[in-house]
Amino acid sequence: MTEIKSKEYLRHLAHQCMFDCSDDELDEIQEEFMILEKQMELLNQVDTEGVEPMVYPFEMETTFLRMDEVVNVLSEEEALANAAKTKNGHILVPKVVR
Amino acid sequence: MIEKLRNDVAHAKENVQQAIDLAHKIQPKINAVVTFVDPSEQLAHLDEVKNGLMAGVPIALKDNVNTKGIRTTASSKILDNYVPVYNAHIVDLLKKQGAIYIAKASMDELAMGGSNLTAYTGPVANPWDTTRMSGGSSGGSAALVASGVVPFAIGSDTGDSVRKPAAFCGVVGVKPTYGRISRYGIIPYASSLDHVGYFTRNVKDACIGLEVLAGRDDRDMTSSNKEVPAFSSLLNASLKGKKIGIIKNVTDAIKNEATSKAFNELITKMKNEGAEIQEIEFDNALLRAILPTYYMIANCEATANHSNLDGIRFGEQEMGDSTEEVMINSRTKGFGLQVRKRFITGSYGLFVENQEKLFRKAQRVRRLIVEAMQKALQDVDCLIAPASSTIAPKIKGEKIDELMDEYLVAENFMVMGNFSGYPSMTLPMGFDQGCPLGVNITCKAFDEETMFNLGAGIENCTGLHDLVAEVE
Amino acid sequence: MEYDVVIGIEIHCELNTNSKMFSSSPTTFGKLANSCVNEIDLAHPGTLPCVNKGAVEQAIKACTALHLEIDPVVKFDRKNYYYSDLPKGFQITQQFFPIGKEGHIEIETSLGKKKIRINRIHMEEDTAKQFHLTEGTLIDFNRAGTPLIEIVSEPDMTNGEEAAAYVEALRQTLYYLGVSDVKMEEGSMRCDVNISLMPKGSTVYGVKNEIKNLNSISNVQKAIDYEIERQAKILDEGGIIEQATRRFDEATKSTILMRLKEGNVDYKFFPEPNIVPIRLEDAWIKSIQANLPELPEQRRARYQRDYQLSAYDINVFLANKELAEIYEEVMKTCKNAKLACNWMITDVLAWLGKNNVQIPDLKMKPEDLATMVNMIENGDISGKQAKEVFEDVMLGKNPNQIVEEKGLKQVSDTSMLESLINEVLDEQPQSIEDYRNGKDRAVGFLVGQVMKKSKGQANPAMTNKMIVEELNKRIK
Ligand SMILES: [Mg+2]
Ligand SMILES: [Zn+2]
Repeated sequence: MTEIKSKEYLRHLAHQCMFDCSDDELDEIQEEFMILEKQMELLNQVDTEGVEPMVYPFEMETTFLRMDEVVNVLSEEEALANAAKTKNGHILVPKVVR
Repeated sequence: MIEKLRNDVAHAKENVQQAIDLAHKIQPKINAVVTFVDPSEQLAHLDEVKNGLMAGVPIALKDNVNTKGIRTTASSKILDNYVPVYNAHIVDLLKKQGAIYIAKASMDELAMGGSNLTAYTGPVANPWDTTRMSGGSSGGSAALVASGVVPFAIGSDTGDSVRKPAAFCGVVGVKPTYGRISRYGIIPYASSLDHVGYFTRNVKDACIGLEVLAGRDDRDMTSSNKEVPAFSSLLNASLKGKKIGIIKNVTDAIKNEATSKAFNELITKMKNEGAEIQEIEFDNALLRAILPTYYMIANCEATANHSNLDGIRFGEQEMGDSTEEVMINSRTKGFGLQVRKRFITGSYGLFVENQEKLFRKAQRVRRLIVEAMQKALQDVDCLIAPASSTIAPKIKGEKIDELMDEYLVAENFMVMGNFSGYPSMTLPMGFDQGCPLGVNITCKAFDEETMFNLGAGIENCTGLHDLVAEVE
Repeated sequence: MEYDVVIGIEIHCELNTNSKMFSSSPTTFGKLANSCVNEIDLAHPGTLPCVNKGAVEQAIKACTALHLEIDPVVKFDRKNYYYSDLPKGFQITQQFFPIGKEGHIEIETSLGKKKIRINRIHMEEDTAKQFHLTEGTLIDFNRAGTPLIEIVSEPDMTNGEEAAAYVEALRQTLYYLGVSDVKMEEGSMRCDVNISLMPKGSTVYGVKNEIKNLNSISNVQKAIDYEIERQAKILDEGGIIEQATRRFDEATKSTILMRLKEGNVDYKFFPEPNIVPIRLEDAWIKSIQANLPELPEQRRARYQRDYQLSAYDINVFLANKELAEIYEEVMKTCKNAKLACNWMITDVLAWLGKNNVQIPDLKMKPEDLATMVNMIENGDISGKQAKEVFEDVMLGKNPNQIVEEKGLKQVSDTSMLESLINEVLDEQPQSIEDYRNGKDRAVGFLVGQVMKKSKGQANPAMTNKMIVEELNKRIK
């Protein structure tokens, strides 16, 4: 059955993905979740008893492993080129608290 | 088209300039380009690759193809300032064959969509009717090929993101077998469904395209070691004795008469050319489950794939008092709502308490769908169906009912090609209201040769190739 | 009240490879920040992982030496969480199918020998290194993507001594395998301890606390000893243990609360779609296993058999593989194993410490030390002289040359000694008389006189022996 997810719960889901949503956006997400749940019921109409999940389009094993050789290194400039803030060759971010 | 330009490599500079001029001219109307690329450096080195299969041919790249030193945004605000430090594998391959990329083409943000309405730079209009959408997510690439700017453009296809816009724009759209083309350097949507694909205006060019792009790349562990045939010289358009399987669930679901008419005409012609036609009916419950299966798998993989977009090492960074705040602010401002919605769904589907009934369930249904396809393809050379129930919808259109078969089955069946990894392509099959309609074929794994041959046969039946839309 | 203590240990070990777990950038350390990275380590968009053969080989070695069953199909999974030292926002690890399962290692403590079971070994990748300053945090991605194995024990240990012995045994084994440099202080081997108490005889585990990032073996023991006392005290007072993560504080020798565990974190594990299952060829696994280097236990047996060293001596060598390897070189040309061993584990080690020299920088040639020990054994130099020779041998000098230059050669020529002895006896009739009367100390006096006459070069042992013979002759 389709249950309506509370906005608080949906906001919690957003935070789990490391972003925020406005109230209006949450209204839209709420609507979408209701459609989604109906569509998920379509999944349940398929009997998958004894069926293994399919992770890759082709399930052939490979024997390939990369040789342990250094091939590709960036220069320090390249490594830091896209970073917003750097200091002494490091990427600088506000103090990490954990 | 490609051959003509390649043979005219002496005038590459003029040909490339012509393409750029046209792209600039129509940009205000169709908005297909995110970044114009100055081709002078590539042209300067053209001499070294003048015998390449695409020597001097102007091409476009979807903006999720990483180009070293050239901004690559995937049409997302969060990557607005991202300048890659490396080339995608296919960029190196294309350069080796002398192709000159002139534009990074618009797409749905992070390839999440089928409309190209979600690009950070705004919607892409359909060159045949600028009030209509190009389709997505590779809409910019499709539009640039359809409007005659370039004969070849790279796209990527996770659900039907090459084949659907190809149908809407009246061009050939190819999604080869999973593993044929390295994904290294393509900004992903969903790893197990993502394919590099491309657009051309005829099947011969499509053959050349795959010859250039296909082949093993050790940097992509899912790329295939299978030999790449010389598709263009093997091309044989004869339909005699070819076994064609119509996906009845799709044709049944289509209510639009113009589409059915064009499709039936094509089938009649194919029969006249000696093709053996049969109808194939899948368990409809299975096909109705395609969309939710796709949605779950794609978004679960995507939410993890894009956890790297946090504004720390690259991309648009928003201020914050802590690193966590920087990440949250960057991602909040950096992603459109469409994208955030899909991440939320994906994350929800991966939670330990949901994973079995959502993500894992979808992966199990995926297997059943693929097994059904495999079984169907045992008896026929290809599965065929209209690529969409209608021509491209209006950009400002009304909302569709997402639970009707016309949507669930007819608009989403091409995703089966992504579930299975089987090669699949879309070609023009007719027109309605001055806009193109497309037909889709799907073949056995790694049998692109048959797919191209059938495509050439269809091209002969419809007479629709090398179409160019005059953008007004 | 009395308690049973339950201890399980998770160890992360950086593998010795040239390149990273999933990228071809170098693993070299001590380099400039962010100079050993490529687009994969930085998780730039569009990058894909590719599994390092060298890392898999090291993992196979570790599994084999620790008796784990190897899964010939290698699979990886994603562990999802957001943190600034984790570039992709997920770690690629082996949650569902570790490369090795169900092994063990033997430890020895004051209570005797014991087998500690190992639950699993899996391969994964390291995170970036962060430096916390007042103005912010600096991130160096050089370490990001470094190959790791995580070794998870069963909760088989019951006290700090056992835990320390377990970590030391693993450390030695991995080091002997060449799998890792296992430097706990430098973080190439990191140790997390889970510990809980339950009433003696109970079968219901208590609430566990995790002590993270112990950076030496002695701290493993100290932290556990402290933690057992802390938890016992709480339980004795009728309190309850809260599940938490703690760290060991060196200064106060106590464990300090980092954070309480509010439920379990959902890492949303799922199979890594970019890495298809990898079938390890049987012949390859077998060849790795057949060419495994000597392990500590094998070396112990060999030292017992070939050198007849004491358990104590062998332990010193096992704990110091580089020293042991020099010893083996010495023993190629040395006759007295025990004597050479004493020089190695006392004098050589003391010299290294005093002069602050690392073994790889040592100039001493093992064959020179062997020659020196042989000289002592042959009576060519005295123990006292040897101390002098040793100092120069440690600087790379040849002992024959040193003895020559310093005129240290002992007089062991019997006819020469004989004439010296007779000269002294003739001069000291009183000493002969004393000896006849049973005063043994006369011999010492006479040896001293001979040494004096020979300017210290007479071989004291020989001199002693010959004086006694001569005395006996004269008093007959
Ligand atoms: Mg762990
Ligand atoms: Zn770990």
